[in-house]
Amino acid sequence: MRLSFVFSEMGIAIRRNLSMIISVVLVTFISLTFVGTAGLLQQQIGSMKTYWYDKAQVAIYLCTKTSPKEICPQGEASKDVQSTISQRLEASTLSPYIDKYYFENHQQAFETFQTEFKDNSVAKYVTPAQLNETFWVNLKDPNQAPIIIESFNGLAGVEEVKDQRTYLDQIFSMLNIASLAALSIAGLMLFSAALLISTTIRLSAVMRRREIGIMRLVGASNFYIQLPFILEGVVAGVIGSLLSGAAIIGIVQFFVQGFLATQLPFTTFVGLTDALALLPGLVAVGAGLAAIAAATSIRRYLRV
Amino acid sequence: MISINQVTKAYRGAPRAALENVSLEIDKGEFVFLVGTSGSGKSSLMRMILREDMPTSGSIHVLGENLVGIPSRRVPHFRRNLGVVFQDFRLLPNKTAAQNVAFSLEVIGKSAGFIAEAVPDVLRLVGLEEKANSLPSELSGGEQQRIALARAIVNKPAILLADEPTGNLDPATSEGIMALLERINLSGTTIVMATHDRGIVDRGRRRVVELSQGRIIRDERSSGYGLDQ
Repeated sequence: MRLSFVFSEMGIAIRRNLSMIISVVLVTFISLTFVGTAGLLQQQIGSMKTYWYDKAQVAIYLCTKTSPKEICPQGEASKDVQSTISQRLEASTLSPYIDKYYFENHQQAFETFQTEFKDNSVAKYVTPAQLNETFWVNLKDPNQAPIIIESFNGLAGVEEVKDQRTYLDQIFSMLNIASLAALSIAGLMLFSAALLISTTIRLSAVMRRREIGIMRLVGASNFYIQLPFILEGVVAGVIGSLLSGAAIIGIVQFFVQGFLATQLPFTTFVGLTDALALLPGLVAVGAGLAAIAAATSIRRYLRV
Repeated sequence: MISINQVTKAYRGAPRAALENVSLEIDKGEFVFLVGTSGSGKSSLMRMILREDMPTSGSIHVLGENLVGIPSRRVPHFRRNLGVVFQDFRLLPNKTAAQNVAFSLEVIGKSAGFIAEAVPDVLRLVGLEEKANSLPSELSGGEQQRIALARAIVNKPAILLADEPTGNLDPATSEGIMALLERINLSGTTIVMATHDRGIVDRGRRRVVELSQGRIIRDERSSGYGLDQ
């Protein structure tokens, strides 16, 4: 086996077939960028889940004067309701699940509301009495929220028990759909990349059919004949995947860290280490796909 | 060396078989002319010996290999013991004479040292050492065929198959090629040459195998091109 010969043959093939090789590089580049973006989105969802799920609380909203009559027939929840809830939260049945809890009265709820909606005109019309008094419960394991919900739902004086994760789940399912969409586009593009690679390699084989004919006559092994073509595909695939890696790193560095992270300072975002971790996978997919497509195509062309 | 036993080759859709019940024995060191009109089956027979094609029925043994049963991954190694030249030379136009010869050694994995010695040797043998760096387009037809011959024999094959090697050459140049083939034959290489060239066959007084419509109709030692000669 003379590697220098194999590589020089590959070099000649690439030079002769340059425009097709460039198109393979570009298609691999774009499709793997979609794959990488989907990967980043999944990592983003993962890190947001661990961050926000830990902070997510279960809210026990008490009845106010303005609550709907069918849920709160007695109107404003009495002090008795508050003490009943505190007792239950402290009792041995529920306390093992609870990390901590606190009570927020009308005035505190009003102040929180005023800071959260300070630019919104609704802040001017809201009165403290309209806002629910609330028990905010932090659980040791946020997955056990249904226990709290079942214990307090329907209790007289309680308007609603709400697990905040239900709001987060909507955001996460949107992000999941986005990453699935990116993956399906990537899948289609990878398929077209595979077809393009196999066409390119066949074209390259046709352009070099004299050489191939002589190689077969003098008894070059099939592996030796096929290797330059497979390498030609792999080189294009690897260049494409490295470009997509650079694009992913660029997206993280300039868009996510440079823009999103400064706009939304209280959210954790994927960083450069996450992007770099994707790189070996992208190169493996690019090289592997090209090798399989090229080998299949050249083998069909070169039956002994 | 070459043993063909009751070989029939029928191509799908063809009105008659390309080869019909052909049997032929060729010994080591022989020089055999295959003659016959176009379509008589000469090329089909050569393709079978090279294992480029398989017989529909019958058996072929070449250099101890049963070519019907040989697994396809062993075919390349088998072909390294055969040299082939064609009417149209089949040189690579973008490589020099020396590079064309070297190419056939590079692709079977010979070392650079071996190639550096073998290529000038074989170019000297065919009398073209001073044209080593010429491109095929700069060579005459006869010179190109010499390079093709050099390429075919550089790996010292036991058998040389020549498919109308003088078909594109003028008579004087053809004589030169024949002299070269005879020298190669004298060094022990078995030669099977398909040809239409009546003069060459008549002057050669070699074994002549004549094919017609896929059958062997004549197999004579020290013969000429046709019975009428």
